[in-house]
Amino acid sequence: MNIKRKIFLSAKAYLFLAPFLIFFILVIAYPVVLGVYLSFFGQRGARMWYVGGENYLSVLTDPNFWSGFDIPIFLLLVQVPLMLFISIFIALLYEQIKHSQVYRLIFYLPYAIPGIIAGIVWSYIFSKSMSPFIPLLSFFGIHNVNFLNLSTLIWILLIIILWEWTGYTALIIYSTLLSIPREYAEAAKIDGANNMQIAFYIKIPLLMNTVLILFIFNAIGALQVFNEPWMLGALVTLPPNYTPAMYIYNEAFYYGDFTYAIAMGLVLAGVIFSISFFFLRTASKQLQIHE
Amino acid sequence: MKNHNLKFHIVGIILAIFFLLPFYWIVISLTKNSGQLYQGTFFFGIPSHFIDNIIGVFAYKNGVFVNWIGNSFLYAGVGSLAGTFFAALAGFAFRRYQFVGKKILFIIILGFSMVPGFATTLPLFIVFKNLDWLNTYWSIIVPSVVNIFGVYLMVIYWNQIPEEIFDAARIDGAGDAFLFFRIGLPNLLPGFTTLLLLSFVGIWNNYFLPLVMLSSSDKMPLVLGITTILSLQGFPVYNLTIMGAFLTALPLLILFFAFQRFLVPQLTGAIK
Repeated sequence: MNIKRKIFLSAKAYLFLAPFLIFFILVIAYPVVLGVYLSFFGQRGARMWYVGGENYLSVLTDPNFWSGFDIPIFLLLVQVPLMLFISIFIALLYEQIKHSQVYRLIFYLPYAIPGIIAGIVWSYIFSKSMSPFIPLLSFFGIHNVNFLNLSTLIWILLIIILWEWTGYTALIIYSTLLSIPREYAEAAKIDGANNMQIAFYIKIPLLMNTVLILFIFNAIGALQVFNEPWMLGALVTLPPNYTPAMYIYNEAFYYGDFTYAIAMGLVLAGVIFSISFFFLRTASKQLQIHE
Repeated sequence: MKNHNLKFHIVGIILAIFFLLPFYWIVISLTKNSGQLYQGTFFFGIPSHFIDNIIGVFAYKNGVFVNWIGNSFLYAGVGSLAGTFFAALAGFAFRRYQFVGKKILFIIILGFSMVPGFATTLPLFIVFKNLDWLNTYWSIIVPSVVNIFGVYLMVIYWNQIPEEIFDAARIDGAGDAFLFFRIGLPNLLPGFTTLLLLSFVGIWNNYFLPLVMLSSSDKMPLVLGITTILSLQGFPVYNLTIMGAFLTALPLLILFFAFQRFLVPQLTGAIK
């Protein structure tokens, strides 16, 4: 390809890219660069002064920041594996049941509900004043239960997030299952494998790529968790650093330490970025299909 | 096999109860006033306060709820349409052209898609403050137009359209705009619709951006507005919040049922 044609094609390509790129630069790229710049400043109200890497040093040694990771780490180690396990199970179930559409729809339904509303509804269901379970339990002689307090909150959070995302995850796994060539299972059947063996030795290994990507997406989600604990915070008094995202918000808008909050956001971004590196590599392969 | 199926259905029904419980609870709660809510039953409120709750929500602060509905449709409607269209244009560029910086640009765009909202929204707050855009419609619409992940999905969708379709048109001497609008878009329609719906839902549900940008009640979308419902004494009004939450979710549920076949989640286009 000669240079002139390459330039001509590039000009055309960037014409198509322009609307996206303009907004992308205005609301993503430029703010991130500005954020990096601001993170090197100290700040009190409107006064700002250069401090070098001091903010980052403070972030790295801020126990309040890192203790907020308890929640994402719990979600990562308990909620995400649990959800992936249940989702694989449900996806295999979809395959076995004739007319599984009804189940698929019901399980996927919570995905249509905003996280904030899921937070409101579940927190009310478990609240001391409104929970329908508390009168039910006291009918059976169990009195003075309190589902919703600081120590149980993490389990409520687990239930909410499972409720929101399991059906969605199961559907993704199910569509991957459908893409596995039928001959694989049939060949195994001829060799005398039963359904259980086919699931464990053929289907589940072929799902692993999808499951890994799902794990990464959920890890990213867990590290940023904000809406659900934020709404639970309306009924339970939470520490301002309950999750890293809540700490960042509170630091910026309640304590007015904006540049420090930005530095924390960037550190969090760094953590997330390293996790998502694998996904990026997979995604960039998309480009090579038509080259 | 029959017996097997029964077992599966029992598991399925138990799971269904869990997934449907909050829906059931919200529906029964719509009929209750706060006194009935505090009784905590599994049944509808008798006498029903359904109409009172609807009137209560719409009468709240001189009908600001109507503003919230309008705002939600404005933000999600404009944001998803423009965002999906821009993503389609960008995806077309990646699909059709070998251009300078193609690979690096794709990686940069995807890289930024991994930057969490908290890292971009805080400096964006400063940018908008300097532009005097805080607490305006622009502060929500402009960021909503950028759908980075949509660009990635669009590249996948465009890649699924066979080369021959373009070649046939090109031989007839069609220009690039023609190729995009008359050849590309009709073939892209299922993917376009999916992305449009997903981003509509995404913007409708976005809580953090308006929480940061907006301070006056009449600019808020539903999802933020309903969390600010308080009595004159400053206490939460649970029955109105529940009605508001239901009305916030209702359009999404309608969309969901109407466009089920487009709402199939997609992660990796490469799996074949």
